[in-house]
Amino acid sequence: MGGSVSKIMGKIFGTKEMRILMLGLDAAGKTTILYKLKLTNQDVTTIPTVGFNVESVTYKNVKFNVWDVGGQDKIRPLWRHYYSGTQGLIFVVDSSDTSRLEEARSELHKIINDREMKDALLLVFANKQDVPGHLSPDEIISALKLHSLKDKVWYVAPSVATEGTGIFEGLAWLSNNVKVQQPQK
Amino acid sequence: MSISLPIRTSDGTGNSSSPPKSTGLPHLSPSPSFIHKQSPRSSDNSGLHRSASQHIVPPTFKRRRCKSQYPHDSPERHVEFILVASFHIDRGPIMEHQYPGPISSDEGMLAELMLPDQTHVRSQDWTIFFLHKDNGADGEDESAPGNKKERKGKKKERTSSDDDDAEGSAGANDDSEITEEEEEEASSDEEDGGEGPPLMYVLNLVNTKQDNTVKRGAVVKAMAICTRHSFLHIYKPILLLALEDYFKNPYPETLEALYNAVNAMDLSPMPKLNLLERQILQATNSKDMFIEKFEQMVHQRAIEDGENEFDEDNPPSPKRGPAPRYTLPRDTHEFESKIIYNDIPIPVKVPTVIWPEIVGDFSLVKLVQIFSAPHATQPQPFPLHPHLTTSGPLTHPIIVLVNAMLTQKRVIFLGHNRPSGEVAEAVLAACALASGGILRGFTRHAFPYTDLTKIDDLLRVPGFIAGVTNPTFANHPEWWDVLCDLPTGRIKISNHIEAAPVTDGQLYFQQQSPVTATGLNADPTGDNLFMEDVLRSIANRYGENAIRAKWRAYITKFTRTAAAFEEIVYGASNIYIIGPNEELSPDSPSGLQSDPGDPTTIRGHGYVWPDEASKQRELMASVSRIEGWRTTRSYYSFIQDIAAMYWPSRPIQKPDLHHHHDRLRTLKLPAYDAGQIYLAFSHAIKDYAGICQLLTVTPESQAGLFYLAMGLLHPDRTVREATADLLERIALHPAGRHFWAQLNRFAKTAYFRIKRQRDAAGNSSPVVKSPSDSIGPPQSLVGVAMSGVRSRGS
Repeated sequence: MGGSVSKIMGKIFGTKEMRILMLGLDAAGKTTILYKLKLTNQDVTTIPTVGFNVESVTYKNVKFNVWDVGGQDKIRPLWRHYYSGTQGLIFVVDSSDTSRLEEARSELHKIINDREMKDALLLVFANKQDVPGHLSPDEIISALKLHSLKDKVWYVAPSVATEGTGIFEGLAWLSNNVKVQQPQK
Repeated sequence: MSISLPIRTSDGTGNSSSPPKSTGLPHLSPSPSFIHKQSPRSSDNSGLHRSASQHIVPPTFKRRRCKSQYPHDSPERHVEFILVASFHIDRGPIMEHQYPGPISSDEGMLAELMLPDQTHVRSQDWTIFFLHKDNGADGEDESAPGNKKERKGKKKERTSSDDDDAEGSAGANDDSEITEEEEEEASSDEEDGGEGPPLMYVLNLVNTKQDNTVKRGAVVKAMAICTRHSFLHIYKPILLLALEDYFKNPYPETLEALYNAVNAMDLSPMPKLNLLERQILQATNSKDMFIEKFEQMVHQRAIEDGENEFDEDNPPSPKRGPAPRYTLPRDTHEFESKIIYNDIPIPVKVPTVIWPEIVGDFSLVKLVQIFSAPHATQPQPFPLHPHLTTSGPLTHPIIVLVNAMLTQKRVIFLGHNRPSGEVAEAVLAACALASGGILRGFTRHAFPYTDLTKIDDLLRVPGFIAGVTNPTFANHPEWWDVLCDLPTGRIKISNHIEAAPVTDGQLYFQQQSPVTATGLNADPTGDNLFMEDVLRSIANRYGENAIRAKWRAYITKFTRTAAAFEEIVYGASNIYIIGPNEELSPDSPSGLQSDPGDPTTIRGHGYVWPDEASKQRELMASVSRIEGWRTTRSYYSFIQDIAAMYWPSRPIQKPDLHHHHDRLRTLKLPAYDAGQIYLAFSHAIKDYAGICQLLTVTPESQAGLFYLAMGLLHPDRTVREATADLLERIALHPAGRHFWAQLNRFAKTAYFRIKRQRDAAGNSSPVVKSPSDSIGPPQSLVGVAMSGVRSRGS
């Protein structure tokens, strides 16, 4: 089978596969991040995601299968169907949309408290750092109450998705930490 | 009304029953009038339409009225609702407009179905989904004129008043015709099936338009047509135009214009055919089979339109609307009409023959090819499951799929990055594959396109067949039993699948013959051979129709095998009704004549195997899937259909025509035994309907009348003459004449020799024309026919 062959190849050449789920409120910039990862150095214009997008991106010998799921409140209950087998969660926050930060916090805590997500790494993109009136990564950390999380490996990366700033730094963090995690399993 | 959730618990007696509506009972004991039924020109009364049947046949008009499948004055609309939904950037999918009124209380769910996953990555997509519209449960659709419940009520009322009319005004008609009309009307009622109201089929088109002037840069809108017709694909072109219009004029008026245009489509000159006629038409390649019925419809319409001078070639212009000309179809398999939308006439082709479970314009050829190609180049062994892998770990994937559907497994078609229309098509094709147009209970539990939002409801449906584009389904093997991945063409059996229980049948066969169990035959089910044949036919470009016919034959064989299995293991079968004078006991050999004075009492029924060993081998190989099937919805509806539909539609109940014709085909019978069959057939098959029944077991694809014509060469003169009489009746039959025309010259020569000999001996009826006419139109035999068949040709 194709899949098992590539797994063997992966062992020889040291590439890993990582299933990443990218969530966040609507219009946070998830799809833009996904396609900036996929199509580096290209301008990306996106329209609202109906359902989901999934792409695989290889970065630093790690193949990331990134799932980007639509964020409108009515379709958020569907997120849970994507949890099983997910090794990393990317949560995208619009740092300028301060009025909805509480909503974002509540959704985020719902996700990571799910049993199927307990082992997943958490990367938060404090996105839209270019928009006037945005909060800093530290302000995002406190707004999302990340310090209250126990037994969770997390990291907040500032980003400007439309320019691609900060995105690969975030991915690098994921890839480094998954390396650390691998032997434990 | 409820939507899309066909939850029917599998309670013992067949969940598909809807007791209040079923009028099946009177037909369980077929009345003798069936046997005398001679209805050359009639087909079923559609029964639905008061005014259609109030037109009284003028006394001078000898032929019986031919009923329309879709009378032009029917209260039933072609299309019942038009919907428009859009993706709201803050709220997700929402319903924008519904015409003529709201279809459902659950607009949100409908809107989600109308905007399939990933529709934002393509500019256009089609989907199909079904609604289970439960009329009358809530009053919301009282405004809908096509309300089924209402119709049913009317139908009952009218049956009586209709007969009064018939007797009163057309007193010249003899009584038998009236009885017959009742009979047919009732039986057409049953063809609706006992599965509750017909599904509402929804054809949906979604467009995504990039638009920089709006927030977030795009507009996504979808428009859907809701119809009870299973040929919903004919509306595709008009839906394209209408959605385009709606982007320009997003108002209810756009919906209204579409609604009026599609409902103005005229299908009334399309005759209604009964079950046997439909079987014959489907199995034939003749393009003018039953053209007489179309001619008559044209004729009738000409009269109805109030013109006195009717002329078949130039029908007078009708009283209303822009002159539709009633022309005869080029191919009677489909009817050509048009929809006029915004002054643009859009041609449509509607299939004449509609089978249960056959919805839309899918392709079996495509489905078979998708899942055969990877198997041919790089077969992957399946994990064994007795219901599914009936030919071992390398069972053909298509057979695994069919087995899964027959044994009511949960089947998912996954097409990641494919348009949702493609997965919907695969689901519809799979339903047709397992149904063969014979078994039911698949489309009713099918979700041609669904997504994650409906997963909880989906999982409550036992044995669903669903189409999805979201690959997350593949990560949840607990949701399905069999996953068919369209992009790779691979079928996967879930590791969560429930194990097959051990059943009586398995134990029986294990005890019976442990030795032959692993015989020399590598293909005991015959499935490998069958798939090879199908693939070869596809490679030789036989076309969709031929492949569908093969699957129909496959499912027919499956049901007959299952009947034989039940008789052996349980002593009787639920899915075969034993004819009069017939016995169940397996020790009474086929061909024994129970009443020496009546040749039609020849015994034997069911499927015919070449010998006992091959029968045992095949049954043993099929035990698991037959037992798996015996607990499913499709099995229970089949029992009902046999009693209410298939059996009563057969005027000849003894002998078993299919069985004895199979004996002629498959066995090397001694002359005496074969002679008995020919005599029995000739005695039993006299009238229009009887000949129709015979023709259903002698399709062109199985050599047509060839085996029957062999009776012309029988050593016994009485057999030869009986066969000649039968063939003569067939040749004069409106459908039979096509079969006669295809018979080889050798057989025809034999036929005319026999006729000449008999005439020389001074026997029987008028003169036969010279053999040189034999190739010509069968009408040349008209003079002879009068003795045997009640005239129908003129």
